[in-house]
Amino acid sequence: MKRKFSIGDSVWRFGLLIWALGIAFPLIWIIVMSLKTNQEFFLGAWSLPSELQLNNYIKAWVKLGIGPSFLNTLYVLVFGMLISVFFDTMNAYALTRIEWKGRNFIKGLIFMGLLLPGINALVPLYTIMRGLGMVDSLNGLILVYGFGGSVFDLVVLGSFMSSIPIDMEESAHLDGATVFKTFWHIIVPISAPGIVTISIFKFLTLYNDFTLPFILLNDSKKYTIGINMYYANEIMQYSSNWVSLCAGIVISLIPPLVVYILLQKRVIEGATLGAVKG
Amino acid sequence: MNSLIFKRVKTKTTLSYNNFDKYLFLLIAVGPVLAGYILFGLFPNILTLFYSFTRWDGISPKIFVGLENYINILKDINMWTSLYHNLIILIFVPVVTIIFSLFLAYALVNKGFKENKFYKVLFFFPNILPAIVITLLWSFIYDGEFGLLNAVLKLIGIDMQSFYWLADEKIAIFAVMVPMIWVQTGFYVVIFANAMMSIPKSLYELARLEGASHFKQMFQITIPLIWGVIKVAIIFTAVGTIKSFEYIFMLTNGGPYDSTNVIGLYMFNMAFARNISHQYGYASAVGMFLFVVLVGINYIIDRLFSKEQSQF
Repeated sequence: MKRKFSIGDSVWRFGLLIWALGIAFPLIWIIVMSLKTNQEFFLGAWSLPSELQLNNYIKAWVKLGIGPSFLNTLYVLVFGMLISVFFDTMNAYALTRIEWKGRNFIKGLIFMGLLLPGINALVPLYTIMRGLGMVDSLNGLILVYGFGGSVFDLVVLGSFMSSIPIDMEESAHLDGATVFKTFWHIIVPISAPGIVTISIFKFLTLYNDFTLPFILLNDSKKYTIGINMYYANEIMQYSSNWVSLCAGIVISLIPPLVVYILLQKRVIEGATLGAVKG
Repeated sequence: MNSLIFKRVKTKTTLSYNNFDKYLFLLIAVGPVLAGYILFGLFPNILTLFYSFTRWDGISPKIFVGLENYINILKDINMWTSLYHNLIILIFVPVVTIIFSLFLAYALVNKGFKENKFYKVLFFFPNILPAIVITLLWSFIYDGEFGLLNAVLKLIGIDMQSFYWLADEKIAIFAVMVPMIWVQTGFYVVIFANAMMSIPKSLYELARLEGASHFKQMFQITIPLIWGVIKVAIIFTAVGTIKSFEYIFMLTNGGPYDSTNVIGLYMFNMAFARNISHQYGYASAVGMFLFVVLVGINYIIDRLFSKEQSQF
């Protein structure tokens, strides 16, 4: 089917194009910047690299400390994700599908977390972590990420689990399966799409988190990638190796970019779900 | 198999296991998460209230000072300039974000351009980026010497020389808002586009037969019909501007001359800035103040718009 486009249409189309360029162009620009030499960099925004300086990336990785901080991030990510997804899935099942005394009270208590802005509690969160001896510790970060509890996870998984017909559990129950078996063999496989969604979000939130690692980590050996980039930028006024910093920016956006390219549909759907929760 | 013989008397949504396994499961499923939630979520909120009545640098013993911190907040000029900046951001960011995303979403849903699918994915993209990537990118864009913004402006005939957008006292507050809008618009494009897709096409066809322009269609059909979603978006973006200080922290850290300082950042620096003596007690009082502001804004917006909604 062919549609005729009017002048009005081209105005709309132009508006969309402008916004698209506004998003894409700066990102492409920073990639180009990251491939220049420092001399070319100071020639201005439009100068192009005469030769692609791929060793900027090596310098960023080694000299700006992105390499070690990348490994720290990976460590926190893997364990933070595993622990939180594991416990949040069990928790969602216990709160939506099992009958027990005090269930509604606990559920209400956890959902109350939605009302807490979090930002006003940063000081005590720090003093608590200090009291636990968890300052400057990646395991401390994992502890908060893993057990901090997430209402988003509960909402997403809870809605998945409550749509599973009760008969399936019931027949397993009558066949003598324990609650552990039912959970593992029936609930987890059926909730898999929900588990994948919260895992993707856990990945993105933990990777992107800045405030918590910033207040907890002082030792540069423990920096996660975001904190490392923050301090790398701070020292630029002395070392002014801007092209390496640009390379660092590009490196840090690769993990979320890969996730987005592979799973964009789930990411967008999940984000919309997250908005509904509040 | 034998379970199929049993007929259920009433529909159940939960099962009651009554044995040791069940309680063991509950212990593992609820215990750690609940403990973590109380320790890292609830307890800090209660502690903030307690700290706010003390003078404490985080090291020496706490001194109970009653309401002193709260009285100081009222007298603190930094507090009020920060609140003023918060208000500017609170007005601009939600309004611009929502207007932009309404227009973009309308174009994506109601215009069959072949690039629309790609645009939706592209517009959303900044939302998945770490704040540090976004702010470093924008500080490069805003740079006076080699920044992209000055270069683009020069291309269209506006020569800003080497103007540093983040270093100007009057401009900086607006400059820090642009990245926020840049990121969030794509998010609400998706939200609004989803809502708009549920509007029956026949409504638009009818309007078009009567010769209504796209503008008219948008304001008389689309916006009223998705008003509930827009309202939630307004509350979300508004509350978000009060809660988030990371962008400003990374872009200007409140400068130049405090011209971009906001309450969240003021509190954050008081408690966590390197190389200064920390004021945990006062910072906690500011945190409580912030909490009250957030509740207030939620309430006001809800009140403001729930009446209007009844018109439609």
